[in-house]
Amino acid sequence: MAAVSVFGVARRGLTWIVLGAPRREFWSRFRKEKKPVVAETVEEVKEEPILVCPPLRSRTYIPPEDLQGRVESCVKEIFGSSVPSNWQDVSLEDGHLKFGLLARLADDLGHAVPNSRLHRMCRVRDVLDFYNVPIHDRSKFDELIASNLPPNLKITWGY
Amino acid sequence: MLQLVRAGVRAWLRPTGCRGLNALTEEAVPQAAKPESVASAGPQAPVLRRCELPVPAPRRPVQAWVESLRGYEQERVGLAELHPEVFSTAPRLDILHQVATWQKNFKRISYAKTKTRAEVRGGGRKPWPQKGSGRSRHGSIRSPIWRGGGIAHGPRGPTSYYYMLPMKVRVQGLKVALTVKLAQDDLHIVDSLELPTSDPQYLTELARYRRWGDSVLLVDLAHDDMPQNIVAAASGLKTFNLIPAVGLNVYSMLKHQTLVLTLQTVAFLEEKLLWHDSRYTPLYPFRLPYRDFP
Repeated sequence: MAAVSVFGVARRGLTWIVLGAPRREFWSRFRKEKKPVVAETVEEVKEEPILVCPPLRSRTYIPPEDLQGRVESCVKEIFGSSVPSNWQDVSLEDGHLKFGLLARLADDLGHAVPNSRLHRMCRVRDVLDFYNVPIHDRSKFDELIASNLPPNLKITWGY
Repeated sequence: MLQLVRAGVRAWLRPTGCRGLNALTEEAVPQAAKPESVASAGPQAPVLRRCELPVPAPRRPVQAWVESLRGYEQERVGLAELHPEVFSTAPRLDILHQVATWQKNFKRISYAKTKTRAEVRGGGRKPWPQKGSGRSRHGSIRSPIWRGGGIAHGPRGPTSYYYMLPMKVRVQGLKVALTVKLAQDDLHIVDSLELPTSDPQYLTELARYRRWGDSVLLVDLAHDDMPQNIVAAASGLKTFNLIPAVGLNVYSMLKHQTLVLTLQTVAFLEEKLLWHDSRYTPLYPFRLPYRDFP
């Protein structure tokens, strides 16, 4: 606003013609912009619920009993019918096959191979060993409390 | 009206920017925009990234999931191969410490200054004769043992703590920091930093859902090409910081819990960091123009 008035005062000839007529449009545009804001917020709130955050998953993972069968069926789906009988030794060198298998297993079992261990998954056997390990989400104190303690040891965790 | 004037002035006075770094990123962008991977448009086609630079024979590339920020559930969009010399080098914690302390200290100028006995006002005359008065002998009233006297060994003027570690040590520090982040599952690779909304709340909820941690460092390739949504979202948050690839440093990587790189950034970093392994010693400083500097 100060800049506009300075320009207007300094050079009167052209800028009055330039800024005179559209200036009213600018001001009227500002006045018009304030009014529809009230109506727009109501519409925006309705569009956003598509991006609702899904509930947090827990990190506990217990390997299911039919893990071998599930992995074998995934391998057969991804690699096709040309899977030898020693399906555990199939190599995962190819990026497409490795991604397909690991993504499928992760979606199936709800537990993905972390980035630090991806390079160790060379064969299907490694993937099987990874998924056979259960993972608990408990803290060390909860594990201690749950385990068998001698009668003269008490743990109070009041935090 | 003022916004239009400001936009006009900004467009007219667009700065050329820092010549060296911008020139490097501008050269890198058209090279990195080569479609190395399958088109990431469809949900079924995975984004696979191969290492462009040669991997020495016994070592094999390390891998990481390529994620997407467009949806909460899009955590496995593809698979990226990372060069082992950059992302799986020896975990030299001593180099990390050296580089982090260097970053903290080389900019430091301490302005503390105290006056010595010569600078304190007064104290040119012997206060009483040497013998006869019964008091202890003194030469001036501003000596350090006097109250109000000068300081004997105090800080002297602005002191600079500037020093430079060798370039290869700083480069190795970056490589070790990236290795450590990947090894501790704090590194995430993203196909691009495009968000569906510019709401900061979306970014925080995404990080919470994927269990990234409290602080996230987002790294894009160049300052000009950052999507508007991520710029708006990150500017509204204190613990989510967005930097260009040339701004990556060990201190920031250690300060933030998670590091998020784009595929283009990974290519840029690999090229820049690996060049130092097999370069000649400079005949003149690298800040002067070279024909084959990456």
